[in-house]
Formats: sequence, C-alpha cells, structure tokens
Amino acid sequence: MGYMCWSSEIAYSGGMARFAADVPTRGGFSFDLCQRNEMLLKKGNQLPTFRKTGTTIVGLVFEDGVILGADTRATEGPIVADKNCEKIHYMAPNIYCCGAGTAADTEAVTDMVSSQLQLHRYATGRESRVVTALTLLKSHLFSYQGHVSAALVLGGVDITGPHLHTVYPHGSTDTLPFATMGSGSLAAMAIFESKFREGLTRDEGIKLVSEAICSGIFNDLGSGSNVDVCVITRGQTEYLRNHQLPNPRTYVSSRGYNFLKGHTGKTGEPYIPPNPRR
Amino acid sequence: MGDSQYSFSLTTFSPSGKLVQIEHALTAVGSGQTSLGIKGFPQKFHLSDQADVKLLHRIIRPSNGVVIATEKKLPSILVDETSVQKIQLMTTNIGVVYSGMGPDSRVLVRKSRKQAQQYFRLYKEAIPVTQLVRETAAVMQEFTQSGGVRPFGVSLLIAGYDDNGPQLYQVDPSGSYFSWKASAMGKNVSNAKTFLEKRYTEDMELDDAVHTAILTLKEGFQGQISGKNIEIGIIGADRKFRVLTPAEIDDYLAEVE
Repeated sequence: MGYMCWSSEIAYSGGMARFAADVPTRGGFSFDLCQRNEMLLKKGNQLPTFRKTGTTIVGLVFEDGVILGADTRATEGPIVADKNCEKIHYMAPNIYCCGAGTAADTEAVTDMVSSQLQLHRYATGRESRVVTALTLLKSHLFSYQGHVSAALVLGGVDITGPHLHTVYPHGSTDTLPFATMGSGSLAAMAIFESKFREGLTRDEGIKLVSEAICSGIFNDLGSGSNVDVCVITRGQTEYLRNHQLPNPRTYVSSRGYNFLKGHTGKTGEPYIPPNPRR
Repeated sequence: MGDSQYSFSLTTFSPSGKLVQIEHALTAVGSGQTSLGIKGFPQKFHLSDQADVKLLHRIIRPSNGVVIATEKKLPSILVDETSVQKIQLMTTNIGVVYSGMGPDSRVLVRKSRKQAQQYFRLYKEAIPVTQLVRETAAVMQEFTQSGGVRPFGVSLLIAGYDDNGPQLYQVDPSGSYFSWKASAMGKNVSNAKTFLEKRYTEDMELDDAVHTAILTLKEGFQGQISGKNIEIGIIGADRKFRVLTPAEIDDYLAEVE
C-alpha cells in the first residue's frame, strides 16, 4: 500500500506535505512528523475533526446463514453528517461487512479487501471464503497498529458454512454466533442476550436484528435514522436497504405560514420603485 | 527495473531501424497455437434520438457479442487437460486468449487484473475495454524499453462488452494494439484470416460466430477436433464473459457437422 502518514491531516492543514518518493515503501505508518505535530498542537493548531460513525452494527447466525444489521447515522462530533448512510459494505457476492469507527477508514479498508478478494477469485476460480476476508482485514489493521479506526462485523456464507466475526481496530478478531459493535453495541447486545437462540428462522432473525438496531437507534445518541438489513444464505444475498424507517421526517404543514399585518415593523420611509427598463 | 549490470535495454535498434527482439517475439507468436476472435455487430438505425437507439439495440440485437477461441494441443495424451485453461478472465466482462508463450501471458493477465481493480478503486467505474487494452499494451511496451528484460512472447486477443458495445482488440509484443472485426494469430494465421475474410458478415449472431470460429479452427487442425482440444470463450449482451464447457463445445461441433 505504500507510504501513509497518520498525521497527514495536520500536515495538510499546516501546508505542503513532503513525501519521500525515493524511499522504498514498506507499508504501515511513518512517524517522522510526530515531533513537529506535537509542536504545532502546542502552538494552537487544531487537528480537523473527522467523520465517525457513532454506530450500532450487529450480526447473527440463523439456521440458513447470516443476517447483518446497521443503523444509518453518520456523526461529526455532535452533528449528524449523514442521515442515511450505508454502513453495510460489499466484500464479495457471499460476504458483507458492517463498519463502525471512522467512516473513511471503514470504507477504504473494506474497498481494498473487496478488491483483493476479487483478484483472489480470478486466480483461484473459486468463491471467496469468510476467513480469507477476515485474515486480509486483520493483517492490514494490525500493521497500522490501531491507527486505522475500523471496527467491523464481518459475515458471510461459503463452502464451509455460515460465519460471523468481529474485527477490532488493533487487529484482533472474535468468532461469534451473534455480535454487536459501535457506540450502540451495549443497547443492541442487551436485546441479543435476552432473545437470541440457536436455529432462528429467517423472519425471526430479521425481526431480532431490527429490534437490536432500533434499541441502538433510540437509546444511543450516536446512532439513529433507519435500519439496514442484509441476509446472506448459501447461493443468495438480500440487501434490504432501509428495511425499517422508524424516524420519519415531519415537515412543516404545506399550507405555509400566515403572517398578519403589522408583524413586520416599518421605518416610515416612502417606497421608491426601481427604474423601469427602457 | 534491472540491476546495475543490466540497466541498459536488451532491445536495441538495428541499422535498418527495426527492433530485432520484437521481430523475434512476433516469430515466437507465429509458431504458437492458433487462436482467433470474431466480433458481432449491432445493426445501424437512423434515429435522431440517441436514447432510443440504445434501447432498440438491446431489444432487437440481444445475441450480438464476441467469440474468442484457441487450439488446446497438449504436449502428450498423459497431460490432464482439465487443469489447463488458456482463455482467462480479466474482469467479469473482459476475457483474453493468447498465442505464443503461455507463462508470459500469465504475467500479463495478472498485471491487467490488478490494473482493472485499481481503476475501479479510483473511479468507482468498471474499467472500459479500451482502457484495459491501453494499460496492458503499455506494460508490453515497457518491457521493450527497460533494462534487463525481454519483450513478451505473446500476442493477446482481448474480448469485452461494455457501454460501447462488443469489442475485440489484438495486442502485440511491441505494445501496439488494433481493434478488429475478426482476427487470428499463431501458426495458421494466413489461412485463418483468409477464411475469416470470406466467411465474416457484418450482422453475425453470436451462435453463428461460434460456428464460424469452430470452422476456422478446423481448417488448420491436425487430428480429430473435439471439446477437449479446443477452447471457446463468449461474451454477449449480458456482459458476462464465460468459457464454454467441453460438453457445450461438443454440442456446437455436432451442429457444425
């Protein structure tokens, strides 16, 4: 992947970033500019904020495969940056990945691994396996030592069966029958822990996932808007975008406003019409 | 590219202005197994509205596309022919066949696949056929001008279907590329091209193109032709490049006879 500087945000806001193009690339981050950045911070130069997905993402294994769920709110601090973003990312026709953390990081890392999986499919002539995606993700995240802030729920069905994993920004992974990540993970996990059982049917699974996401949407400030669901089974994947819309936008009445005379103050000066065109 | 011992190019001009290494590479191609490609054409309509034209193409010409085919003569009957696949996919809608040195073509296919992925990552658009051809040709040209390397000993026939319709390109070891309606390369190239010139019609359906391809291969084929010793790849308006199974090829062969 080459030479990447985690402190590039400061570097760009400060001025020209000098990248040593003649140094052979070794991957991972270079910490050359850290001292300079510390100095700039002391001087008062602030790091620009990045958009995070304060998020609720979940996944569970049901009788025929895997169901993934996510909310659709992307936040920039206290501001909602995107009311309907897509947090369930495509990795392969049979593998999808929910992403929490920094939106740019989750997008970039899932796109990159998706590309690598495609090349692997061409080379082998076979369907991609979930563990392949898992290993590619974790080795990338580990080599960046947690600075790529991507917390993922990876799920899919391959020749060896249905799989569900969580991936943490430092590169550790878990294999679970049900999983939640993001700021709303506690709210969602509460639902899963009380209602999950093995061998759920498709409709039961979708209902449980939606409930867990809704719990995150209503109880966590970092999550909100709509529920996205993705159902992956052997041979078929259904991406149910905006499966539920529990937060419809209520707009002002279309009748418009009614301003009575005298609402707007007058200066008393005479009205002079503009010059008519010749 | 190349060590300090070989930082000069091994491909140098002769006094007559030719690059002899490329000529030799073309000879290597010419002694490789025959391969060919045939492109089907959309019919021309006279309509003022461009949007309507595209719709009509899809309704009236659903079976146009591109066919590529090659001989698959193996060095011995003991070789497991199911393990050999000469026609490869570069993307879901672009396929390639070669004449010349197989290992060289593998390197090119690998590089091109990667370039197609990088293009998608950068532009979020499936790479158009012309762009992929251009990048592949650029790689081949690089190897005629870099230190310590030799030109590739293959010519490629790249077949694809994108928004500009069906396309067929030939790329040579020099890095030059041409778009063809029908082309052949390898051992029997002159006979095959003459045959194609006679047989080719502008409004060929995909099935007819497959039959023509089989007949062209048959022209110079030594021995009994079957689904096991030729390979055919097709792409139609569905934009999915596909290598035919030996059983399907046998069906087409039966129709031809």
